[in-house]
Amino acid sequence: MARTTSGPPADLLGPVQGEVSWFCCGNSWGPCSSTGKGACGTCNSGSLQHAWPNTSDACWAITRPDSCGVGLSRRTCGYRHRTTALCTGTSVVTSIADCGPQTDLFCGERSCCGATCASNRLIDLTPAAFSAIASLSSGLRPAEISTA
Amino acid sequence: MRSRRDVLKSAVLGGGAGVMAATALGSLGPEAAFATATSAAPGVEPGAPDPNFAEGRIRSIKDNTLLVLGSNMVFHTIRVVDGTSLWKLGPVGFDQARPGDGLYARGVRMPDGMLAAEAVWLNIVNIKGHITDIKDQTLRLDHNGHEVLCHVVPGRSVAIHSESPPTADLSLLKVAQHVQILGAWRPDTNEVDIATVFSPH
Repeated sequence: MARTTSGPPADLLGPVQGEVSWFCCGNSWGPCSSTGKGACGTCNSGSLQHAWPNTSDACWAITRPDSCGVGLSRRTCGYRHRTTALCTGTSVVTSIADCGPQTDLFCGERSCCGATCASNRLIDLTPAAFSAIASLSSGLRPAEISTA
Repeated sequence: MRSRRDVLKSAVLGGGAGVMAATALGSLGPEAAFATATSAAPGVEPGAPDPNFAEGRIRSIKDNTLLVLGSNMVFHTIRVVDGTSLWKLGPVGFDQARPGDGLYARGVRMPDGMLAAEAVWLNIVNIKGHITDIKDQTLRLDHNGHEVLCHVVPGRSVAIHSESPPTADLSLLKVAQHVQILGAWRPDTNEVDIATVFSPH
């Protein structure tokens, strides 16, 4: 799919829609065992936390959501967002514990449940948080993200 | 109407014949399980551990109970009941759980500290990285500087290219491409069986 570079920048003055996935952090097993505590130093798979693409200039330089036409607000460690799964309407409130996802590497990607779709990876939840709104085995879901 | 969580809780509290392991005939699939609303424990502060969630590796299995050592060295007792969904590369029965398996579990924390499981995901991983090599039935992934050998499982592995429907044809994947791989870890190795490859293109 071609990269999406047009459209107004998204901000969290209001809810935005995008894709949500999950990642492991902190002490863990398997390929996750090499993962640390995240950019904030507090990240744990069992806690209600998330990664955000714009926690600092250095973070933004890696994730570059603007290359997908998305201009997310700067939010720092501990800031709270509400993520609502568009498939079920279930939501979870989490706090920032890491920088991510790398939005630019999946630019234009779109996931759907039925006719409900959302584009671009805007947030990654810990397994504890993601499993509160969807099955971990779904891997990637469309979601709405707002401030909490 | 009783919620799925209420049923789980009462199944555990009821004890006896009502507390039975999900059978080898197969458990409720995780997608079906999550068609109904689930949630974190009420009152849990964002950023805090969710008591209705557990993570770790199975140390032992007795009857319908998993004794799990968390990666933070905290033990969890996880009860599998009739309504529990189990995943290990796909929906499976309780007989597929093995000591040494890693897991994530969500359910209802009982007063005695036991977790009545709503869903258990065995060895599930969800990793992102660049493809460094593709062979007939394997691909190698550079995940945060660590190589992960990913196996294609015939009849099970699929690729999802953006919003396109899942396909068993993985031939469109290319070396150097960035992907997300959802799969099942082979315990104590750097190898993963592929359930789904998410590709943006």
